Amino acid sequence: MVIAFLRTIILYAFIIIGIRLMGKRQVGELEPSELVLALLIADLAAVPMQDFGIPLLTGLIPILTLLCLTMALSVLTMKSVRFRAVLCGRPSVIVENGKLRQSEMRKNRFTLDELMEELRMKGITDLSAVKYAILETNGQISVLLYAAQQPVTARQMGLTPQEPGLPMVIINDGRVITRTLHSRGLSEQWLKNQLRQHNVQRTEDVFLLTVDEQNTVYLAKKEADK
Amino acid sequence: MKRFWIALLLLGAIFTGTLFHIRSLHGFTDTLAGLLEQADELAAAEQWEQARTLTDQAKDTWADRDVYLHVLLRHADTDSIYAGFRETLALLDSREYGEYAAANARLITQIQLLYEAEQLTLKNLL
Repeated sequence: MVIAFLRTIILYAFIIIGIRLMGKRQVGELEPSELVLALLIADLAAVPMQDFGIPLLTGLIPILTLLCLTMALSVLTMKSVRFRAVLCGRPSVIVENGKLRQSEMRKNRFTLDELMEELRMKGITDLSAVKYAILETNGQISVLLYAAQQPVTARQMGLTPQEPGLPMVIINDGRVITRTLHSRGLSEQWLKNQLRQHNVQRTEDVFLLTVDEQNTVYLAKKEADK
Repeated sequence: MKRFWIALLLLGAIFTGTLFHIRSLHGFTDTLAGLLEQADELAAAEQWEQARTLTDQAKDTWADRDVYLHVLLRHADTDSIYAGFRETLALLDSREYGEYAAANARLITQIQLLYEAEQLTLKNLL
């Protein structure tokens, strides 16, 4: 068992180093330590699950070891900026003032095609409109356009639009979510009035009803079965 | 930071537990091997009844920790040792020293390998 415990620690460390060396693009939205956990844990669980000749502990001890290591590493990455940089890397500026930083691209093994694809996915076709493009530690690209290229905001136009707030679901597929209704300070009587106003007889006939912080109601009736 | 210490504490507990398991297994396999070696010496001196008593005692010692062994060791290994005991006892009854000695030596090796496979050595780790 101690061999399984120590092998788990060694392999975990090696795979994390491997993932870090592979570059940010491989990481996806997880931290390297979390990605490694996700990669390993399913396999570890599958072996004793299928092979009855192996004690359950053979799977449980490495899984518990991995969970503890991930927990310890995630606390360390929260507490120490330096440790976080070592484990997760630092963001890389790929485009600066509209110019490609080719050395950073090479360092991250990030191709031009991938950059253009990421920009197109964000609705940007002209590289010269990009002030900064940053390859984040989770492998995603953050793009900051030049001020002149950014959409005008209501504030810039001197407008003060009303804040609708978060619409909450009150009726979901015919079911009234009473907790949400009450948390918005609304009553069953208010709901009945709203249904009447929308010419609906029963809550069961409503597919979706949401209310925002301005008490604006959105109601979608259920379609009749065909 | 509390989570960090909990994680470290758990890792320490697992490590200590596994070391304790090795120590316990070492004592256990040594006891069994000792009994079986004594039985072999008695059988060589044609003291078959005493040899059988010692082998039975070793088998009972093994059976007493059956659950512990099944939880911690590969079932193929534990099953093979149990079969080894049965074979050795049968050969003791037949009083064929040559075959008994070979089966007994094989059983002792299998028991000792249990500990060797769990031992904390660089060879096992790699």
